[in-house]
Amino acid sequence: MGKSYLGIFRMEFKGELQYRAKAISGIATQLFWGLLQIYLYMAFLNTESVDGFSITQMASYIWLGQAFFAMRYILMGKNIGQSITNGNVCYKFVRPLNLYNQWYSETLGQKVASTLLRFPLILIIAALLPVGLGLSAPVSIPALLLCIVGILLGVCMSTTLSMFIVWLTFKTLSEKGSATIISTISGLLSGMVIPLPMMPQAVQNVINYLPFRFVSDLPFRIYIGNVGITDGLIFLAIGFAWLVLLTILGKLLIKSALKKTVIQGG
Amino acid sequence: MLYTKYLKMHMHSSFQYRANMAFIAITQALVNIGEVLGVWMLFLQFDSVGGWTFYQSLLMMGVIYTVFSFTECFARGYDEFPKLIKSGEFDRMLIRPVGIHYQIFGSKIEFTKLARMLLGIVLSVIALVNMNIDWNVWKVLVLIATYICGCSVIFGLFVLSAGISIYTVENLEFLNIFTNGSKEVAYYPINIYAKWLARFFTFVIPVACFNYLPLSFLTGTGSVPMWLCGVAPLFGMLFMIPCIIFFNLSLKRYKSTGT
Repeated sequence: MGKSYLGIFRMEFKGELQYRAKAISGIATQLFWGLLQIYLYMAFLNTESVDGFSITQMASYIWLGQAFFAMRYILMGKNIGQSITNGNVCYKFVRPLNLYNQWYSETLGQKVASTLLRFPLILIIAALLPVGLGLSAPVSIPALLLCIVGILLGVCMSTTLSMFIVWLTFKTLSEKGSATIISTISGLLSGMVIPLPMMPQAVQNVINYLPFRFVSDLPFRIYIGNVGITDGLIFLAIGFAWLVLLTILGKLLIKSALKKTVIQGG
Repeated sequence: MLYTKYLKMHMHSSFQYRANMAFIAITQALVNIGEVLGVWMLFLQFDSVGGWTFYQSLLMMGVIYTVFSFTECFARGYDEFPKLIKSGEFDRMLIRPVGIHYQIFGSKIEFTKLARMLLGIVLSVIALVNMNIDWNVWKVLVLIATYICGCSVIFGLFVLSAGISIYTVENLEFLNIFTNGSKEVAYYPINIYAKWLARFFTFVIPVACFNYLPLSFLTGTGSVPMWLCGVAPLFGMLFMIPCIIFFNLSLKRYKSTGT
């Protein structure tokens, strides 16, 4: 059974790898945005300093975010939304596979492939930039290892959250609108709009325990040493608990949505 | 008039799916509300940046939201120009006995963008009320000119990238750096950025003319002479002229994609 999902994952993965030219133009854009954001937050951090978040750390945080942009963005797999609104989803019903798992492997495959195509080059270029503007080395080897675990958790969390867009699309029949709602909420709470370490402490105390920050914020903060190893381990455990909980919730919601589905058109 | 016919046609087709249109418009505005919340929280943590406070920054966001979505709504044809070329619609336009710019304007009007524009106006008003400005006639005029200047600069950028896409056919993401980049830098008074970046967005793409310079004029602060800040929006409006000339010149070299 698991083999079929692995097959879907590999198919989507290979499909996404075809878009190399798109990836290169994406990399150029990501580099530009990275620089722009670093210059912006530099202006803030020059005015006033934040504990445990120096300009050098901020630059690394931004670059990691840009490098893993493809996985941070909460977006369901291509064609899924369209298949729901145009009715093609009914072909998926006839397969003897769990729909949630099919969509999950599709989305995950695309996210992993487009991340792998982009991140090495961005990290290399960012590491070549001067200190304070570029990516610095991780604070320690354990921090790097924890960061990698965190990124793996992040890509799964991102996919799990993306499944809620699928559910919302069933409810609203508007693919764009549903995607916008979920990605706006998670963008703000996962540090994509502004880096979470630059938010007021009281706000951080809440956001740190919500599932969104595990998509991208936590691994980067472990890397730059803003979150220590012990705290990092505790937070990773919380993140995995959220992942399990939200995946189950997503499965239940989509199951109930599917029961009431009326196929549009034919 | 022909344009009113275009307007009626697009209105008619958009309003066929009223609920869907409202949903998309509201969710689009939601993205911007998310951004405003982010900036608000940033200013809770940092009281000021480069001497500017939250409401001054909020005015900048209000201005860019208003002008960008207004231009997106009515000049969408330029924004999505590669689509017109690829679909062959542009070839059809060329054989009609009506001005080409007229037809590009009429090819698409996206009313959903107006929700964002409304948000921009609301944000501008909130910011202006909280800024304690000593109003006089000149300041009112400069403020109005700021919005017109913003629209024309963004329009110029749309026309410029449409002109380039005559050569490239594809919509290059590289070009989005200029349009979206100009939008993103304009969220804050741009003199907070590094000098070379601020200069680029003053002298090459005149974002400063509807951003930092008129803001200086309204608040009466800054190092640039006041009269220069006041006339800056007028200068900024000129940016679209070379863009349109470039587009028209490129048009002479246009080759159909053959569809």
